[in-house]
Amino acid sequence: MAGLPRRIIKETQRLMAEPVQGISAVPDESNSRYFHVVVSGPADSPYEGGVFNLELFLPEEYPMSAPKVRFMTKIYHPNIDRLGRICLDILKDKWSPALQIRTVLLSIQALLSAPNPDDPLANDVAEQWKINEMQAIHTAKQWTKEFAMGPGQ
Amino acid sequence: MGNCLKTPTTDDISLLRGNDSQESDPNLGPPPPYQERVPVYHPSPNVSRPANQLTEEEQIKIAKRLGLISHLPTGVYDGSVKKGKECVICMCDFVLGDSLRFLPCMHTYHKKCIDDWLMRAFICPSCMEPVDAALLTTYESS
Repeated sequence: MAGLPRRIIKETQRLMAEPVQGISAVPDESNSRYFHVVVSGPADSPYEGGVFNLELFLPEEYPMSAPKVRFMTKIYHPNIDRLGRICLDILKDKWSPALQIRTVLLSIQALLSAPNPDDPLANDVAEQWKINEMQAIHTAKQWTKEFAMGPGQ
Repeated sequence: MGNCLKTPTTDDISLLRGNDSQESDPNLGPPPPYQERVPVYHPSPNVSRPANQLTEEEQIKIAKRLGLISHLPTGVYDGSVKKGKECVICMCDFVLGDSLRFLPCMHTYHKKCIDDWLMRAFICPSCMEPVDAALLTTYESS
């Protein structure tokens, strides 16, 4: 197996040295390309107070292709489906090698603050968000309480 | 139908992904003779395909891209690049003697790093400026 690229080592060191507020990313002990990520629900969002676990994997091609990121904690969000997959342009066609783990996670945090039901991944959630936003936000808060605040979080 | 991309010439070899791994490793010995090493191309950013499986359209696109990239100015790092001494792609500092490539938007990268990216997307990673649009502007103004 090829050694870990310098860039991944540097990014990991910088993430440890200067952590982002509300985000932690720790490499797996046995696989330095796999990160255990924890994102706090942003203030003034339906996810406030919640602690969300994600997994982030740097593919062999990284940074020429985007990291693979997935929510492990259940979340009610129009751009995140029931498998935790995230609809975010920079993870797909808008990826650039100038982006980093740090910027990707910041974008995901921003997505929690600004759900975009017009570009849905979870169609039923997006529909609900458009028909009755109050109700959708209420459900998102309930899910946050139920799945992102429980013991073990 | 012949596949003109199958056997790259030495001219464009530096533009091909992973040509580093072709350097012989004394520990490994010669590769098995039956195993032909086919270069992998990226007709779109998230698509990887061996050269012998590309459609004709993709082959043309890649050939054009190789031509365009070869027109972008290159140079050797002499310590004079003022802003940013780090290549944002590999996150390594530029070292005297490194081969660089300069994009029309004035962003600078290691030649090896940016060429790998430009074969996937013809966009500056830093400012997202399409390189071909910027190339045309450069032609018009000169």
